[in-house]
Amino acid sequence: MLKQYRATLTFIAIVVFLISVGYAWLGPVRATSAVLSGLTLAALYFLLGAGLSLIFGLMDVLNFAHGIIFMIGAYIGYSLFGNPRLFTNTLPLILMVVAGALVGVYIGRPLRAWEARRRQLPADAPPLRIILSRIAPSVLLALLAVGLLFWGTRGFPLNRLIAFEPTATGGAVPTAQAQEPLSHMAVRLVGMMVAGLLLGPVLVREKRLEARGPFWKTLVVSLILSAVAAIVLWTRDPAERFMLGLSVDVRFVLALLAGAATGALLGVFIETVFIRSFYGRPVTQLVLTLGLMFIGVELVRAIWGKEGRPPMAVPSLFAESCRSPNLIAWLSERCSSIDVLGRAFPTYRLFIILIGLVILIGVWILLRYTRLGMIVRAGVQDSAMVEALGINVRRVFTLVFALGSALAALGGVVAAPFVGVYPDMGGAFQLQAFIAVVIGGMGSYIGTAVGAIILGLARAFGDVLVTGGIPLPWTEQVLRASPAIARASTVLIMAIVLLVRPAGIFGQKE
Amino acid sequence: MGNILEVRDIHTFIGQFHILQGVSLEAAEGTITAILGRNGAGKTTTLKSILGLTPPRNGKVVFAGQEIQGRPAYEIAAMGIGYVPENRAIFTNLTVAENLKIAERKRGDLDRKANFIFGLFPDLKRLYRLPGGHLSGGQQQMLAIARALVPDNQLLLIDEPSEGLAPIIIQELMEAIRQLSERVTVLLVEQNFQMASRLAKNYVIIDDGRSVRSGAMEDLLRQPEIIRRYLGATI
Amino acid sequence: MKTLITRLPLALGKWKWELAVLAVLVLFPFAAGLTIGKPDALPPEVRGLERLARLTETGPAKFWQGMVIQMLILAVFAISYDLLLGYTGLLSFGHAMFYGTGGYVIGILLKHFHWPWWAALGMVVLVAVLQSLIFGTLSLRVRGVYLAMVTLAFAEFFYILSEAGDFRQYTGADDGLHGIYVHPAISPTDYRLRFYFLTLAFFVVAYLAARRLVNSPTGRVMVAIRENEQRAAMLGYNTFTYKLVALIAAGLLASLAGCFNAVYNLGVTPAVLGVGTTIDVLAMTIVGGVGTMTGPVLGAAIVHLLGYWLNRLFGPIWTLLFGAAFVLIVVFLPYGIVGTVRARSFQWRTGWRRWMQLLGLRRETPVR
Repeated sequence: MLKQYRATLTFIAIVVFLISVGYAWLGPVRATSAVLSGLTLAALYFLLGAGLSLIFGLMDVLNFAHGIIFMIGAYIGYSLFGNPRLFTNTLPLILMVVAGALVGVYIGRPLRAWEARRRQLPADAPPLRIILSRIAPSVLLALLAVGLLFWGTRGFPLNRLIAFEPTATGGAVPTAQAQEPLSHMAVRLVGMMVAGLLLGPVLVREKRLEARGPFWKTLVVSLILSAVAAIVLWTRDPAERFMLGLSVDVRFVLALLAGAATGALLGVFIETVFIRSFYGRPVTQLVLTLGLMFIGVELVRAIWGKEGRPPMAVPSLFAESCRSPNLIAWLSERCSSIDVLGRAFPTYRLFIILIGLVILIGVWILLRYTRLGMIVRAGVQDSAMVEALGINVRRVFTLVFALGSALAALGGVVAAPFVGVYPDMGGAFQLQAFIAVVIGGMGSYIGTAVGAIILGLARAFGDVLVTGGIPLPWTEQVLRASPAIARASTVLIMAIVLLVRPAGIFGQKE
Repeated sequence: MGNILEVRDIHTFIGQFHILQGVSLEAAEGTITAILGRNGAGKTTTLKSILGLTPPRNGKVVFAGQEIQGRPAYEIAAMGIGYVPENRAIFTNLTVAENLKIAERKRGDLDRKANFIFGLFPDLKRLYRLPGGHLSGGQQQMLAIARALVPDNQLLLIDEPSEGLAPIIIQELMEAIRQLSERVTVLLVEQNFQMASRLAKNYVIIDDGRSVRSGAMEDLLRQPEIIRRYLGATI
Repeated sequence: MKTLITRLPLALGKWKWELAVLAVLVLFPFAAGLTIGKPDALPPEVRGLERLARLTETGPAKFWQGMVIQMLILAVFAISYDLLLGYTGLLSFGHAMFYGTGGYVIGILLKHFHWPWWAALGMVVLVAVLQSLIFGTLSLRVRGVYLAMVTLAFAEFFYILSEAGDFRQYTGADDGLHGIYVHPAISPTDYRLRFYFLTLAFFVVAYLAARRLVNSPTGRVMVAIRENEQRAAMLGYNTFTYKLVALIAAGLLASLAGCFNAVYNLGVTPAVLGVGTTIDVLAMTIVGGVGTMTGPVLGAAIVHLLGYWLNRLFGPIWTLLFGAAFVLIVVFLPYGIVGTVRARSFQWRTGWRRWMQLLGLRRETPVR
């Protein structure tokens, strides 16, 4: 009996320990706000860690690019919220590449068939000919495509488009000057489409993608995408005015949705192009996702600049600069902070905790009571057996990858009004999420939540202690440090957990 | 009756290892066919190759008149092949009910088959809400077989059902397999020759990755030297 | 003496490739000085050997000498990483930690504490061994993906510390540590040729040491662990100890390489401890060929040149392109150059013979 609840008891013991030490040290007032701060962090760690843990549990893939998705979600949400012209000008280009690639995939099929029909080279043919026939067509097509991508985006005024707010370095650029004329953009669209057309066959030839279903369906989808691209571009000025005319609340919700959707798409992209063909080769997958992590940071730096941005504006419910005495008063007063035992606590952070809680319960219900959840839970244990039951487990993999990535990106958007956006945020939050997941136990959903709570509390208390100063025993001196030290010291927590219980609190033994 | 399954000269590689080097067999509709052979002869790989979990590199697998080799495992299974792997790979963190429900291919599969399944394995009804991990070895084996019976399968691949079970439970299982074989064709891998010989109508012997002999079980029983040579067993 | 003379040709034959490369490396600065050096920069009264030596430090010759110095340092770093990934099968994402710590330790000791170089170097060795011992005992308790994650976390720990404002007076925080004092006799700016040969000597010693290790009985156990850790354990080897040995050796080499890097650049920045450095070393090892001695060396040269050209051609976005190149390499060249060549060499040799026959350049039928 005791053994069965060991994990739960451990969790409760740690939390009680953390909180009681905190209260003894800081007194009830400061400790309570520290607990709330800790839960805020825990909610964000959870949003990031849940996907990490689910993906690892189901597919044995540790996605080092997960923090990047969190960050890109944050940047996308942030930009849509405050700088819609960035989207109206870049989205059509991206859509055209996709539209082109979709059709291109069908060009790849006859190409591959034609290649297969040609005489096979003997294994001992001259090396040059083997290399040429094997990779030359792909390399040639890819080079052409990449060249077109470069040509099509040459001189694209990304910097001007980004410089929307006066806070941008060099000041704001008015939309009329930031955007290129439509005729220019139309040429770019064509270039992007052709580049996509060339990329499609490469992806098929290198077995990254497979053409499925009848051609006309894909053609229709491709045409729809192109039409959307054209419409978005055509209506970019009214669209920007419309978007900026919307209330902060609506824009915030749109930012959340856009962030999550981007995350899901990125997840699908990463899974299908990079992960899928390497199942069973974990080292390659790890190295690949590490590479993607690196690319992600550099991409964000290249697009949005090395400097971070200040926190995003909060929805109106958290915007009035006043302090409400209690939750009910807050709902009518819409204050930015609320009174907690005589200390002000930002209401937006309560909202973050709420989002974390809602997602925690929502995903738990999904896992517990739906067929998809049942398949995921079974797949965590034995995905080959799930496949042997006649279930397309690979599709479930992609779906879970998309779901986990969407959660991370959502977390990023939620975090943007709290911490702002900056190119290191992905790595910083991912590190903490890793540690949370290690504490809780990789692959365990409840474990992730538990690990996030423990780590969030530890971080919050650590921040207060480290920045407030730790009185050194037997001396008059006080040890003071920056929050960076608290951030680094969580690695020590992970070290302790690894020494005591390598599989984590809720993890199964290796 | 015709053959629901025909395997023609399949070769399977696992990594660089050439595990199956020419296995052919057939399963006549409505019968039990036993795959016999020593440990490591390639019996389990044969089942996995049929199902596409370890796809064969050469050769043909024909199921219900269609060539299925090279298709993804989930497509093959969905055509009507149920798989009961060795070590009864049930999902221990799912309840018995969920273990059965997950095998549904159409809504209501389980409800339609409930009487048949619980008729075969009355225990499962009693344990319906329990996590699979709490079941005993025999019960887990029954659950694994029951799971394969939930959808409308035409063929069951059963791997070593008697492994590690008490004799009395083996008896029970044998009876269940005999009963269910009236509804579906069974391809049975079994180390326990006693059990296999009593259940199966036909046999295939696999040795060193090759199918070396096949025929009617009653003929095999008259050839003790073959049994000794390939199976190391006596009648 | 006699045995030495009779054995010499044999030894020369065995080491012919290494010796050839060494000869090229020794002659390189002079060749560069004579071809791309700027003779006009030297006063005409400098003559003879001195002129030759001074010529190597003019114009592009000096620059390319510096490139090779960096390649040699990176080659040692990559070899040390290959000891882990290629020979022991440990996927560590925290190797930048050793490289950066080595740099910071020597930098701080030389700049702020004015230690003599030999004491500072000794301290680097001590710190590296201690660090790999602690790091190893903690992280080697887990395997596979856990190891990757844990090692990354440890490296991040040091990265955060190097960036933290608390130690600004020593580390320079996010600006990095600059102006390391180096004895003028080996200054990489004033006497680059001397520093070049110092680095070359370091590289040769490191290469031989690593080679010695992987060819020793310990090295064979390391390979056994890579192939199948359980089996190695069943044969009675304490796999933990052997993994720890591999980690200490790798950590030590990487720290020393980091030392040289810091001294050459006269500074260290937090970026040296960052993920980018780990990506670099992974790229070098994978491009060259995992599990080979020559691969990482080749990889270091290629990756360094690639980075240089990307930077020249594309400017600031070169890091992005470098990342893309890295991913493409992992996808399309998983066994690296040396690995692919080895796997294909027989095929290619027979292919080459056929080709020659077709062209009529070779008449006899190939043996076998």
